[in-house]
Amino acid sequence: MIRHHPDSNMLLEYASGSLPWAMSLAVSAHLQLCPHCRRASEQLNEIGGGLLEDSAPQATSGAALAQLMERIDQEPQQGEPQHADSPAGEGAPVSRRNTRDDRDPALARLPQVIRKLLGGNRPLKWRRVSPALKMSRLHTGQDQYEVAFHRISRGGKVAEHDHRGREVTLVLYGSFSDADGVYSPGDFLLREPGEVHRPIATQDQECLCLSVVEAPVSVTGPLGWLVNPLLSFRPA
Amino acid sequence: MMAQVTRTDFNGKAVQQTQTRDDDWSRLLVQVGTHRDRAAFERLFHHYAPLIKGFHYSRSVQAFSAEAADELVQEVMFRVWRKATSFDPARASANTWIYTIMRNCRIDMLRRNSRRQDADGCDVEVDDIWDESPESQPLVVLQHKRSQRDIAEGLRGLPPEQSHVLEKAYMEGKSHSEIAEELGLPLGTVKSRVRLALKKLETILSKRGAP
Repeated sequence: MIRHHPDSNMLLEYASGSLPWAMSLAVSAHLQLCPHCRRASEQLNEIGGGLLEDSAPQATSGAALAQLMERIDQEPQQGEPQHADSPAGEGAPVSRRNTRDDRDPALARLPQVIRKLLGGNRPLKWRRVSPALKMSRLHTGQDQYEVAFHRISRGGKVAEHDHRGREVTLVLYGSFSDADGVYSPGDFLLREPGEVHRPIATQDQECLCLSVVEAPVSVTGPLGWLVNPLLSFRPA
Repeated sequence: MMAQVTRTDFNGKAVQQTQTRDDDWSRLLVQVGTHRDRAAFERLFHHYAPLIKGFHYSRSVQAFSAEAADELVQEVMFRVWRKATSFDPARASANTWIYTIMRNCRIDMLRRNSRRQDADGCDVEVDDIWDESPESQPLVVLQHKRSQRDIAEGLRGLPPEQSHVLEKAYMEGKSHSEIAEELGLPLGTVKSRVRLALKKLETILSKRGAP
């Protein structure tokens, strides 16, 4: 049961195409897990359709259609549509060298867009941030946000930290809790700068999350000066 | 049901438009998808190309230059031709389906123009993140496709300050904070106008949808 969702403002920015790439990636993964938000985003697309229908028509150049038909004629006839639309993540990239990631239970059932992202980032390089926390930075083709997988070991506690920028966390496997509640796969959390929290993974299994951070995380705990350099901001 | 009307664009050029029910456009799209029907495609082009251009470039919207808007029209209609086989009229109206293609195309274009050399090296593409295909659905969701006419009328029924922020978001592709900055409003005000607009639209549509 998914209990935490992106708000309607963020969904609208996503549906209208103005939400930054990395944030949109996280919203997209949530939509692939959450029928409720998927429905909401389709309704937001319908608004786009309504605005298109109501646009003030502008004449295109007289040759536009002829040019387009010429381009269409040059397209190979066979199998044109399917190939352009083949579902992401099931093709070649995923089979790229690596077996450890294939055996990783946390990576076994991911939303399609995350599988695609994973495909281009294999093999994952995990870095130990603290005894309970590992991270793997992900290349997403942008440099405004730091995108990474974070995994917390079974029952592991992460140092208390706050955020200098907005941070989105999407739970992908297992669950974790903090002072505000328990979060399970599909839960989408947005933290504003300055919010402090201390996540703890549940006892039964480890927890994998996708995180998208606008600016570096700073560690506020007593050993912060030790941990902080490991979390330094390096755009992926 | 089809009638030719002439509307004039802001350069004074006459634009021929066919007025139909939205089902007719869906039917034409299906014909393009199943029979590669060129005559049907040409009718779609004559209807949608001026709208796609107007969405990005008109008296009130100058999100693109006229040239860039023309380029976008070409690319969107090309993709409409290619992807028509995957159009499912039960899931979306023609307007909405074309809107999603247009949005993805625009993101693609803006991304290509702004891309830095080193920001590359990633397999994820626009259609992966903005993926409307049924394969990426969480599970079978009962679709309640709403009437396109009701939506358009609902949008026209919104107070101007609410429809204004929706137009800025969709047609100019601006984020809430960009809209706030441009209009000299606090971010919270823009956010609440968007939410009020969505709520109002929902109310209008549920009244119309009631038996």
